[in-house]
Amino acid sequence: MMTLLCAAGCALALAHDAPNSLIKLDFVGDSVRAEVLVPESELAFATAAEHVSEPFADYLLRHLSAETPQGTPWKVDVRSVSNVTYLGHAYLSAQVEFTPPPGASPRSFVLIDDAVTHEVRNHVVLVLARGAANQEVLGMLQYPARRLVVQRLSATAQK
Amino acid sequence: MKLPWPAAMVGLLMVVNAAHPADSLCPRPSTGDGQVQAVITAVKALQKSLTAEQRKALEQPFVRDSAIRWSNLPVGVVPRTGLRLGDLDVKQEYAARRVAAAALSACGLKMLDEIRIADNFLKNVDARKIGWDGANYFMSILGTPSEKEPWMLQIGGHHIAYNLTFNGGREGATPLFFGSEPIYFNMGDTDYEPLVTQSAAMSTLARALANHAEAKLSGTFTDVVKGVVVEMVQGQLPKGGTDTGFPMSYPTGTTDRGILYGALSAEEQALVRTALETYASLPGDAITEELVAAYESPAALAETYVGYSGQPDLTAEGSYVRIDGPRIWMELIVQRAVADRTKLHYHALWRDKQSDYGGEIGAR
Repeated sequence: MMTLLCAAGCALALAHDAPNSLIKLDFVGDSVRAEVLVPESELAFATAAEHVSEPFADYLLRHLSAETPQGTPWKVDVRSVSNVTYLGHAYLSAQVEFTPPPGASPRSFVLIDDAVTHEVRNHVVLVLARGAANQEVLGMLQYPARRLVVQRLSATAQK
Repeated sequence: MKLPWPAAMVGLLMVVNAAHPADSLCPRPSTGDGQVQAVITAVKALQKSLTAEQRKALEQPFVRDSAIRWSNLPVGVVPRTGLRLGDLDVKQEYAARRVAAAALSACGLKMLDEIRIADNFLKNVDARKIGWDGANYFMSILGTPSEKEPWMLQIGGHHIAYNLTFNGGREGATPLFFGSEPIYFNMGDTDYEPLVTQSAAMSTLARALANHAEAKLSGTFTDVVKGVVVEMVQGQLPKGGTDTGFPMSYPTGTTDRGILYGALSAEEQALVRTALETYASLPGDAITEELVAAYESPAALAETYVGYSGQPDLTAEGSYVRIDGPRIWMELIVQRAVADRTKLHYHALWRDKQSDYGGEIGAR
């Protein structure tokens, strides 16, 4: 199976030069944790367009945020950043925690991201909800869209 | 060199029909020219020639999951469904070609042939098991062929996806993806350039647009904008790579869409119409005639934008041209080649904002 995965992943990387970003959301308790995967090839166009040189965590915090449906900002922390190879492509992987303001639901918010899409017009950000067994696509962002309404029922209600 | 269809068959089905309105673009129209009756007759003949197992592969339900299952990725990455053309015997191959010839124009049939030959060329260049192969092209019938009820004919593989919808008079020609890697090549004693007509028309248009500052689109382009979406899930085989993003959202308003058709000179406006007609000349005329009339109506053209990015002569990676109107969405992008990284390749896409899949497929 691993050989098959590698073969398919390597082939995908080689056959698709414009990989997407992925944001995988984990709905845990009072906050939302996320793994944010940004392909280095596409990110390079975005950072070059801004003429900035800064740590990826700082760059990400300027382009990734969340707010309540009423517009109150959530707290966003980038816990760590690592280099990963994902299905044959080089990515930066950021572990991010989104914390809602007091009294706001952690399951209803607006996710905002234009880390790559502010520059790369064909780039797509896939937003997934990570479950125990599989992942569900919650939506996609592509220029000029940078805001995705996320509404998850409680874990109990989803069963 | 093995051609995707027997050479004698190619010649047999290139029947002259001088009435075709796209004669200047497409001088050898095919037999059926997209007439639904001709396509149905050819489909029935193909069905008769197949085994039960092959018919099962050919015939699929006309539902969203089947319709959106086209891609611009090789079949080794995104497996296709349908009747694999490379598995057919000579009689079946003839019948399948009759279907293609009935539905497509001569230009569209020629492009299908040459893109399959390009895949055979890649097979000789790149030994990785990605699925390069002119045999890896497929045909599917979604729903029951009818002159009144909706159904689809899909013909596609790595670098072409014909999605033709027949629905009793409001035929759909889109989504239509086509690409070429390499851009040009030689096999045997023949030179090929499958997208020469479309890329030349788009490049001529872009070079004219370069005289207008407002025609230059902002940002960077690394692929067509409204193409397939790859859903990658770690620990699993790549998922998606098909039209899971359908229905698409499109730019609105007046900013960053290029220059309005009405702001161009008469000569430049003619280049826009020529470019769109090179795309529209691929399916049979009976399928595209009303679409082109809608795109070229004065009201539609008044709201049509054209824009470009990168090198207008399409000689550099990232060069891009787009026609964006109330219904029409046509793109062409120059990308780095995959099998030979020293070369470039094209991706092109035609969507209709109202009648992709004949307007018969909704959101998931």
